[in-house]
Amino acid sequence: MRITTRRFARRVTAASVLAAGALLTSCDKSITDLEPLPPLAAASVDATAGNWQMIVMTSPSQVAVAAPTAVTSDAYKAELAAIKVAQASLTSAQRAKIDYWAGGGVLRWNQVLRGLVAKYNLPPAPRADGSYVFPDANNPFGDPAFPFANPPYAARAYSYIAVAQYEALKAAWHYKYQYNRASPAKVDAGIRALVPVSDLPSYPSEDAVLAGVTVAMLQTLFPAALEEATTRGADQREAALLSGKATSTDLAAGLALGRAVATLVLARMTTDGTGNAIGNATLWAAMADSARARGETPWLSLEAPVRPPMLPLFGNVRTWSMTAAEVVAVRPAAPYPTASAEMKADLAEVRRTTEKLTNEQRAIAQKWNDGAGTYTPPGHWNDIAADHIRDAQFSEVRAARAFALLNMAMHDASVACWEAKFRYFNPRPSQLDPAIRTDIGLPNFPAYPSGHSTFSAAASDVLGYLFPSESANFRAMADEAGMSRLYGGIHYRKDIEEGKAHGDRVAAFTLRFAQSDRAP
Amino acid sequence: MLYRALVLLAGTAGTAQAQSLDDAIFMDKRVLCAGLVYTREQWTDYWEGTLKRDNGNIGTVTTQQAAFMTAYGVTGRLNVIASLPYVSTRASQGVLQGQSGSQDLSVGVKYNALSTPLTSAGTLNVIGVASFSVPTSDYTADFYPMSIGSRSKRATGRALLSFQAHNGIYVNASGAYTRRGNVTLERPAYYTDGQLFLSNEVQMPDVRDMMLTVGYQRRGLVVPVTFTQQRTLGGGDIRRQDMPFVSNRMNFSRLDARVQYTLPRLPGVVLHAGGSRILDGRNVGQSTTAMVGLLLAGKL
Repeated sequence: MRITTRRFARRVTAASVLAAGALLTSCDKSITDLEPLPPLAAASVDATAGNWQMIVMTSPSQVAVAAPTAVTSDAYKAELAAIKVAQASLTSAQRAKIDYWAGGGVLRWNQVLRGLVAKYNLPPAPRADGSYVFPDANNPFGDPAFPFANPPYAARAYSYIAVAQYEALKAAWHYKYQYNRASPAKVDAGIRALVPVSDLPSYPSEDAVLAGVTVAMLQTLFPAALEEATTRGADQREAALLSGKATSTDLAAGLALGRAVATLVLARMTTDGTGNAIGNATLWAAMADSARARGETPWLSLEAPVRPPMLPLFGNVRTWSMTAAEVVAVRPAAPYPTASAEMKADLAEVRRTTEKLTNEQRAIAQKWNDGAGTYTPPGHWNDIAADHIRDAQFSEVRAARAFALLNMAMHDASVACWEAKFRYFNPRPSQLDPAIRTDIGLPNFPAYPSGHSTFSAAASDVLGYLFPSESANFRAMADEAGMSRLYGGIHYRKDIEEGKAHGDRVAAFTLRFAQSDRAP
Repeated sequence: MLYRALVLLAGTAGTAQAQSLDDAIFMDKRVLCAGLVYTREQWTDYWEGTLKRDNGNIGTVTTQQAAFMTAYGVTGRLNVIASLPYVSTRASQGVLQGQSGSQDLSVGVKYNALSTPLTSAGTLNVIGVASFSVPTSDYTADFYPMSIGSRSKRATGRALLSFQAHNGIYVNASGAYTRRGNVTLERPAYYTDGQLFLSNEVQMPDVRDMMLTVGYQRRGLVVPVTFTQQRTLGGGDIRRQDMPFVSNRMNFSRLDARVQYTLPRLPGVVLHAGGSRILDGRNVGQSTTAMVGLLLAGKL
C-alpha cells in the first residue's frame, strides 16, 4: 500500500513537472500585427485607368507632369547604375521594407490608416470640474489628443484618403501611358526585379504617388502621426527603387504629383463643414427643445459627467455623391414616438434580449462592437474589403477605386445618418428603461437610426457591386452587424431596420457613379 | 448525501487545516479537505496606466466569488489541490452589464521536497508547486473591467521556502512564474500597446509574483499576513479614457491578512476569514477584499 502510494506520488509529480515544462516551453506565442499580404502581382495593369472618371480633379492632367529624360540619356543611365549599386549590398532592413511594400501600397496604407483611427478613437477624458475639452488640431499631442477619430471623423478620413489616392493614381496612369517609360528592371537586364514587375510604365512611380498623396493627407487628418507617416512614405519610395520598380526620377515625379493632388483634395476637405460639426451648447439645447416640442422625450447623454453629443452638426457636412437636398430626401421617416405602444414593445424587446443574452449573441455584439479605441465600423468594413481586394489581385489603381467607392458610400452614410439622428434626437434604450444594461459601450449620441446598420448596409452594397459572387455574404454580414446592436443593448429593432434601408438608399448614389465611371 | 459525506469526513478528522497553492500547509496522508470560500472585492479608484483615477461610468466595481476548493493528501508531503470559482461582477454606476459564470478550474500539485531542522529554533521546508488552470465556461475576456477572467490557460510553477519556528511563528517566501496561453477574441482586430493587431488572437504576457508571509500558528489557529507583488512581463497600459484590455500590464502590490481557525470540538471544521488591500498598482483597480470560508476535512 505504502509502495503504491509512493509510486502514485512519484507519477503525479513527474507528470505535473512534465506538463508544466511542456506548457512553459512549447508554442511560440507571438502574434504578427498585420494581415499577411502576398507580393502584389496585379491581375491586370488597368492600362485605361487614366481615362476613368475623376472625382475631385477636373481631369487627370490637371496637375502637370513634365516629360522624363530619354532612357538613352546619360542621366537616366546613371540612375540605373545607382539601382545596381544599391541592389548589390541590400541590408536586411532594406529587404524588410521591400517585402512589406510588395504587398501593395494601397492595401498597406489602408492598414496604416486603420491603425491610426484605432489609436486616435478615444473620447476626451473629463477634467476634475466635470467639463470636457475638445481636441485641438493645433495641439495634437495634448490631452485630449487630436483628433478624436470617432465614427464620423473616421468615415470622412477613410474616404478622403481613398479618394485622394484614387485621383492621384488615375493621374499617374494618365502620364504613365503618355510617356511610356518602362520600369528599370525591364530596361536593364542587370537590374533584378525583387518584386513582381509588370508592363506598367514606371514614370511617374505609383509608389511615390501613393507616398506623396497619403502623407500629405495624413498631415492634416492625423497631424501627430506625421513623423510616422513620413518615415513610412520614405520607406515605400526606397523599396520601389531597391526592388527595381522605379528610378530616382520616376520617384521624384510621383512624389510631386501625389503632393499636388493632395493639395487639391485637401481644398475640398477643409471646407466641407466638419469644422462646424461640434456646434455649441445653445444648438444642442435647441435640438432637445425641438424634440420636446414634438412631444418626444429628447436624448440625454448617459455618461458621467454628462458629455456633449458626438458631432451633432455632422449631418451638414458635404457628401461625395449626394446633394444636401438628397440627404434630406432619403432621410428615414420619424421613429416610433417615445410614448407609443410600438416603442414600448421595442424597448421591452431590448430588455428581454439583454437579460437573456446567449453566448452566441454576446459574441456577435463583441464581434461588431467597433466602439471607442477600435478602427470604428467603417474601419471594420475596410478590413473586410482588404481581404477581397488582396485575393482579387487588384492593381494599385483598381484597389484605390474599390476603397474610394466603399468609403465614399460610408462617408455619405455617416453624414446622412447623423443628419437623421440629430433631427430626431431619439433616446437610447437605457435612457427609457434604466434597467437595461449593455454588453458593449453605449455610444454618446441619439439612437435612431442605427449608425452601424447604415454603414454596414451601404458598405455591403458597394462590396456586393465590386465582388458580385460574394454579395449574399456581405448582406449577411450587414444583417449580423445590425442585430449586434440589439444584442449589445444599445439599439431598438426599428433603428436597425430603418438604418439598413437608409444605408441602401445612400449607397445607390455611389453605385450610380460607379456604374458610369468608365472602369471596366 | 453530500451532507452525510461531509459529516462523516468531519467526524473522522485528525488535525485539519485548509491550504492553498501558495502556502506551506500540507494535508496529512489520505486526508481530504473540501469547502467553499466566498470573496467580495471592491474598487472605485483604478490605475489607467500609472494614472490613478475614478470613473463615473462604472462607479464602484464589485466582484463576488464563490469558490469550491478541495485538497487531498496523497502523502503528507504531496498534496493535490483543486478549485473552481463562480464569479459575478457588477458596476454601481453607468450602463455596463455585469458578467457572471463559472470561471477557471485550477489543479495543482504541492510537494514538500525537503524538511530539515534549522538551528534549534525550527524547521525549514522547501516546497515546489505546479499548477494549471483552464476556463470552464464561455465567459468573455473582451469586456474588462466587467469580464470575470482572462480566458487564458495558465501554468504556474512556484518555489516556496518556509521556516516554521517551534514557538509558532513562521515565515514563508515564495516566487512564481506563470505562463499564460494566448486568448482569442470575437473581433478581427484590436489596438493595444501602441499598435493595431489585425488578428483575433491576443498574446498574453507571462506573470511573475513574489510573496512574503509572516504568520503565527498554534493549535487550531493560523494567522498569516502576506505581502504580494505581481508583475506582468509585458502588455500595454490602458490608454487615456480607454477601457482596460485583457493583455494589459497588470501589476500590483497587496497586503493580505487572514485568520484560519479549526474548531476545537469539531476538528474537521475549518473557518477562514480575511481581507486584503491593493497598495499600489498599474492597470488594476485599487481593490479591498473580504473573504470568509468554511472547509471540512477528514480522513478517507
